[in-house]
Amino acid sequence: MTQAEPNLATERPVKRTESVVVGRVEELPPGSVTIVPRGKFGIGVYNVGGSFFALTNYCLHRGAPLCRGQVTGKVVAGDGPYESKMVGVGEFLRCPWHGWEFEIATGRAVAYPEKAIRTYPVLVENGTVILEGL
Amino acid sequence: MPARADVIDASVHPLVRQPDELREYMAEPWRSLPFPGPHRYLFPTPTGVAPYGEYRSDARPDKGLPGSDPALMARHLDELGVGTAVLLPLCRGLLPNVDLGSAVCAATNDWLKANWLGPLNTEGRYVGTIRVNPEDPAAAAREIERWAGDPAFVQVGVPLEAHRPYGQRNYTPIWEAAARHGLPVAVHSEPGAGTDFFSTPNGYHRHHIEYHALFPANFIYHLSSLIAEGVFERLPELRFVFADGGFDVLMPLMWRMDLDWPISRIEVPWVSRKPSDYLRDHVRFCTAKLEGAPPEIRTEWFETAGGADLLMYASNYPHWSTMAAGEFFPQLPEDVRARVLCGNARELYRLPEPTPV
Repeated sequence: MTQAEPNLATERPVKRTESVVVGRVEELPPGSVTIVPRGKFGIGVYNVGGSFFALTNYCLHRGAPLCRGQVTGKVVAGDGPYESKMVGVGEFLRCPWHGWEFEIATGRAVAYPEKAIRTYPVLVENGTVILEGL
Repeated sequence: MPARADVIDASVHPLVRQPDELREYMAEPWRSLPFPGPHRYLFPTPTGVAPYGEYRSDARPDKGLPGSDPALMARHLDELGVGTAVLLPLCRGLLPNVDLGSAVCAATNDWLKANWLGPLNTEGRYVGTIRVNPEDPAAAAREIERWAGDPAFVQVGVPLEAHRPYGQRNYTPIWEAAARHGLPVAVHSEPGAGTDFFSTPNGYHRHHIEYHALFPANFIYHLSSLIAEGVFERLPELRFVFADGGFDVLMPLMWRMDLDWPISRIEVPWVSRKPSDYLRDHVRFCTAKLEGAPPEIRTEWFETAGGADLLMYASNYPHWSTMAAGEFFPQLPEDVRARVLCGNARELYRLPEPTPV
């Protein structure tokens, strides 16, 4: 298998053990999530503005099915006192149970960037989305 | 045990000789208006001989209120093992007439300067507190400006029983003035006229024992507000001293805030760190004799609660629960004990190192 596009999903070295076809690019439009039934909890494959990312469907807080959570942005402090704004709409995920937030591209928790959900590389090859590193 | 000259007592309460002495430092029309005396009217400690049973009986001079005689206080502080004392005079709480309340604060500062921080303070043993009225933030900020250039004043003081928690934005001018001059803000319970906030956020109680069990909630009421409203984010120089105990229940309440923060952070996005992370940079508690974990778990509790960073020794003289420096947790390692008895306060108040004898 050759890599048709640069791997946007992760910087982690990939140990190619197994891969699975998720679907055609046109079946997985921007903003969509597809839960692939692999591993103990399943893996959510996200299309964020045309780039694909994959996260374990398991919240590190209390074990919720994370990838059923809402795709949203990150609320940050605004420019003045008591102002707030949302940035990165579509790039973040809120856990459906307790609202912990994660960056989809990296799996990092917004509150604790040192904590992260496991991510997987996703390849797009001739219009086919392939989940790697299983 | 550190040498006496090194020990800093972060909360000592000098009193006027008699309740009306304060009037000598007030202009008309305030001077002639009635206001309450320094006697606690809600939940006074049922100890000692009334009146003033909540004070050490031997702190009462032949004439005058407990803690009103500088010579007697100096002797007692020597006995307590105290070198430098941070004087935190108690005012008369929140008065219905806001301007009278500010006038009482201003008079207290003039009185403190004239009687305790002036010629009598030859050895520089005493440093003082600028009392301000949180009910009038603009006047409070002006009062801070009036004294900020005087090195004898090392902090700003406000009452515990404020109607709104101290993180709320109406107080901003006070904290800005304090932060601008590098003055920590001390919060202490005090008597009042009956128009203060409830004696605890849970309302009124019938007995002292109920009040005393719940009154640390007053500190958390202010502290959780200061953190959640982002005051420490906007004023990185601001420090708060909770000068009347409550450290014993701080940790479990911070656990609650920490657990909630990743969940409800979007409501307060200016809170950029785990709530308990603000404590070390911005908050200190004074010791109180009658609190702390039971002896068998005290060391573990002290360590987990971060006591070495967050606590400052305070005798609370002349109250009946006065604690001598030597009574503070003798089992602690010497270096940790030295931080609580000397180092933490020296750093916070930027006090000079004691001159070697």
